[in-house]
Amino acid sequence: MKRALWLLNGLVLLYLLAPIIVVIATSFGTTAYPVFPPQGFTLKWFVNFWSTPELRESLRISAAISTTSTTLATVIGTFSALALARTRLRGKTVLSAVLLSPILFPAIVLALALLIAFQRVGLAQTFPGLVLAHVLLTTPFVVRLVMASAAEFDPSLEEAAQNLGAGWWRIFARITLPLILPGILAGAVFAFIMSFDELVVTLLLSGPALQTLPIRIFNYVQYSSDPTISAISTCLIVAWLIVGIPAYARLMSVRHQGGA
Amino acid sequence: MRQKVAWLLLAPNLGLLFFAMLGPLALLARISLKGYESGHGIVETWQLSNYSKFLFDPFYREVLWGTLLLGAEVTVVCLVLGFPLAHALSQSRGWKRSTLYFCILMPLLTSTVVRTFGWMILLANNGFINRTLTALHFIHAPLRLMYNRTGVVIALAEVLLPFMVLALDTALLNISTSIYEAARNLGASSVRIFLRITLPLSLPGIVSGCVLVFTGALSAFVTPTLIAGARVKVMSTLIYQQAMMLLDWPFGAAVAFIMLVTILLLFGASMRLSEQRREA
Repeated sequence: MKRALWLLNGLVLLYLLAPIIVVIATSFGTTAYPVFPPQGFTLKWFVNFWSTPELRESLRISAAISTTSTTLATVIGTFSALALARTRLRGKTVLSAVLLSPILFPAIVLALALLIAFQRVGLAQTFPGLVLAHVLLTTPFVVRLVMASAAEFDPSLEEAAQNLGAGWWRIFARITLPLILPGILAGAVFAFIMSFDELVVTLLLSGPALQTLPIRIFNYVQYSSDPTISAISTCLIVAWLIVGIPAYARLMSVRHQGGA
Repeated sequence: MRQKVAWLLLAPNLGLLFFAMLGPLALLARISLKGYESGHGIVETWQLSNYSKFLFDPFYREVLWGTLLLGAEVTVVCLVLGFPLAHALSQSRGWKRSTLYFCILMPLLTSTVVRTFGWMILLANNGFINRTLTALHFIHAPLRLMYNRTGVVIALAEVLLPFMVLALDTALLNISTSIYEAARNLGASSVRIFLRITLPLSLPGIVSGCVLVFTGALSAFVTPTLIAGARVKVMSTLIYQQAMMLLDWPFGAAVAFIMLVTILLLFGASMRLSEQRREA
């Protein structure tokens, strides 16, 4: 019974990891289209990714959008989290629900709403429009992670500093900020990954001049099959694993506390 | 901190929500009540025809029904495969738990487009699954796993499985170990312990996991598009097609609102369900 359960779980894990294993494996194969298990070994698809001008351009656009929107989302989200966690505000529960609400909507619904609105004010198919949409989608994650950090620490630390005559800026810079910094960093990492991988909203709002990397992958795989896509994917998988696992573990522990 | 400071800190975020979410959603609602003529574009009249078109045309009702069915199938697959895994995760400690946790987080950190691409390689007519089954003489002609619902269910369940496992893990961790010890001391069999303790006490986790997966499947766009193309139409691909290819924004907006209401009703129903359980 116990052995059968372990076997079943092993198969489920294999199912869960299968597409990732396949993508990584096919990025090293020598055949002209992705074949699993791969034949031979080559790095030419990685070279191809780097030497194709349109792919490099897409990487640049994606990086620019993600960096800008992450910076804005981190500042806006941290402000909100501080206001919610460190003050006695009435209707806090409702407010935090409102702030977290953008992640509840199906992406395609928000995407169409934003397209209709942005078309009116001339933000559709522009860089600022895409950044604004990404800030909307990623700020909730920053709010959630920073709120958890801010709720963890003892408010008497701030009171003690105040009693000793420290000004509000000094209190913020020397006590509050260092204590919530892990939450801010985790939130920023999370926002960056979310923004970099976002496809649906970006697909509707970006014009031909703003093809992000996920859009490029989405279009490629619909009409052709090329191991270069596997190579790009492998780069993304490895990059997100390195920066993302600590942030994700933190988000999950937050969710766990919230559920308890 | 004083109230004024708090509102000042909240101002940028509230402004963002107002201009980039509330406003656009209001415009979406408004445009769903407008008419559309091909060649002329949006007609400035107030009408409910977009909604009645969706609800009375059997083709569109079929799309809604097919989407709900897909969501139900994916949810069942995730629950059946996710429960044993979540149980093992909640029971393990130390490096075992870390390793399992890592294996479940890794797919979540990989974008849906990338994972769906992996499934395309696996599910194709001459893909790994079909070639393996043919080599083992299980089948003679390749199974059709792409461009149909089967493929979408296989890939979408994989995409959403981590959410189910993590929701169940949270619920299972909340069950105190002393309850298990007491049951075992009183001579309960492991089947009885599972049916009388584990299952009822993890019900909140089952409900929240199912809601997460079901709503995720209803709003999925990338996986159905890439795996099934135009063969399987779901709500999100219908919205995309209407809005981006036929440029019929009013009808696309109406479909978007019908989808939104469906999801909100589901959320409401699941909340009622968990509240009733708490009272009982």
